[in-house]
Amino acid sequence: MKGMMGIMAMAAALIAVPAVLFSAGGSDIMHTDTISLPERIDQWRLAEPPRRIDKTNIFDYMNGAGELYLSYNFHHLTAYTYTDKSDNEILVELYHMDASRDAFGLLSLDWGGEPVDIGGFPTETSDTSDTSGKGIVPSSRALYGMGLLRAWSDNLYLRIMAYKETPESKNGILALGRMIAEGRKNPSPPELLGVVPPSGDPQWQVRADRTAYFYSHLVLNTIFYLSHENILNLNHSTEALMITVEKAQQGAPKQSVPLLVIKYPDPARALAALTEFTGAYLPDRHTKSHLETGSDHQAYVPVEDGWLGYRLHGRYLALVFKCPDPESARRILGFAVFQ
Amino acid sequence: MTQSRCVLTRRDFIRGTVGTTLGISLLGPKWVEAMGKETPRSRVLIARDRHALNPDLGVNTEALSTMLEGLLTGITGEKNTTDAWLRLVSPQDVIGLVPTPLMNPTHDELIALVTDSLVRAGIPRKNIRSAQGRSVDLEPISALISLPGLKAHWLTGIGTVLKNYILYSGAPRNYHFQDSAKLGEIWNLPQVKGKTRLILVDALHPVCDKGPQVDPRYRWAYNGLIAGTDPVAVDSVCLKILQTKRDLLRGEPWPLSPPPICIEAADKVYNLGNSDFKNIDVQAIGWTEGLLI
Repeated sequence: MKGMMGIMAMAAALIAVPAVLFSAGGSDIMHTDTISLPERIDQWRLAEPPRRIDKTNIFDYMNGAGELYLSYNFHHLTAYTYTDKSDNEILVELYHMDASRDAFGLLSLDWGGEPVDIGGFPTETSDTSDTSGKGIVPSSRALYGMGLLRAWSDNLYLRIMAYKETPESKNGILALGRMIAEGRKNPSPPELLGVVPPSGDPQWQVRADRTAYFYSHLVLNTIFYLSHENILNLNHSTEALMITVEKAQQGAPKQSVPLLVIKYPDPARALAALTEFTGAYLPDRHTKSHLETGSDHQAYVPVEDGWLGYRLHGRYLALVFKCPDPESARRILGFAVFQ
Repeated sequence: MTQSRCVLTRRDFIRGTVGTTLGISLLGPKWVEAMGKETPRSRVLIARDRHALNPDLGVNTEALSTMLEGLLTGITGEKNTTDAWLRLVSPQDVIGLVPTPLMNPTHDELIALVTDSLVRAGIPRKNIRSAQGRSVDLEPISALISLPGLKAHWLTGIGTVLKNYILYSGAPRNYHFQDSAKLGEIWNLPQVKGKTRLILVDALHPVCDKGPQVDPRYRWAYNGLIAGTDPVAVDSVCLKILQTKRDLLRGEPWPLSPPPICIEAADKVYNLGNSDFKNIDVQAIGWTEGLLI
């Protein structure tokens, strides 16, 4: 306890709460490096000065993995390496993203691991009408597994990893995580998650640990491959949510259906994306019906791996894949509630 | 316009029309002329030793040396390592070693072992150089030995054999998107074509998800080396190992996504080798528990 209090005192002397400005677009965060980690923590010592990696050298640092972070509005990364007397290493990576939702998105790509509490201020809103995320994502903000801590702390995405996991390295990792999160806000998940409120459907249940939030077709393809080309016109102006819905089946594995919800900047772009998608994905099924901006449109199409359904509503496009029948497609598309 | 172009989609994989769609989209009518060309059968050897990695994940160089000898003699049919190397390269060759430099890098011990083994076979040490990177001058290099680390890749499905020469393209980012199907074309560049004498995959500690960035939850001690002379066949075997491990980890099918179109394209479009297991002979040497193939 004394040791922990000493560490916290040291941390308080070193860490300043970053000055944060929010605009309506959520992208005016000051990207100053106000987080400064200690020279020493328990038996771990900083091996070298921290490295700063930005968009100009991210590929030199991590090759093609850099595309992932760029797709989430990466600003820069600060990397620290700690070693102990046996030359074991802990790598601390602080990914500074443009907005909290970017860091959330990175964590959402994999909800596996042991939930751990690394602190920070309580969730910003206690507004019970704010349903964003409730029931469709886990409440964890930090996950630990086999020597790796991944966490979402406002606009920071943390990766703290020991190359060799030991009880000492785990303690060091969690202590560093707490230091970093200390005094930082814990905003709510992105608003888009609110378009899929808890449904209470008796047959189909949302698999919360498979919900992912993203902007890029590259990320979509790692979750559910549609095409190497960007046939849904995803980019940094769009937001997307992939939800996995499951139905238990007696004597058979659960049936799993992906529901994709995309928010475009405006109805015209949503319509253009649907047109692009049907032309590329359903050239042999494409109906000749005329779609107009602003009109709602739903369709259900049989393809090789089940029924595909889509629903266009204003700036929103929802798609469901691999459904056993058109009724399931209609039912699951109905999970998305567009205001 | 979208309706008039050939777009590879999920449905092609389900229908089994990937090769056709890739061929038409990458080569156009020329692909039809090349279709049906037969390739001889390919051999891929896997050598494993349960002690290849120590409990602290350090490399057991003695075990590694034995595995390497088994692979070289197995691939070439020669009785010893020296004769095996001299079947693949000559003392007049300038040999470029091409390891994975970052993100699950090739173990230094393997690179050193291959280098020392070549020297003992009579290759002058000054004729052996590192050949990984954008600025490598491939002109004087007459033989390449590819030494990639086994890993999944979030952009291309797998980032092992076919992707190992991506920096030779001069524009690696171009191959991260739909053009990942074109990775095979790098192997046909004039400065690369025909030079690869051996592919030796470092499968000691592979990564089966989230690659190239390492996540220890998806890394395991396979303790293996995988060798062959057909890059497509070797990558196909590597893919099978990664896919099987993923399915075991989840307890249900967990397909690599995106699917590695580069492998089928390398076979069907660029004629670099065999991707179909019907045409690949796989032989395991040593420890077989957890072989995954």
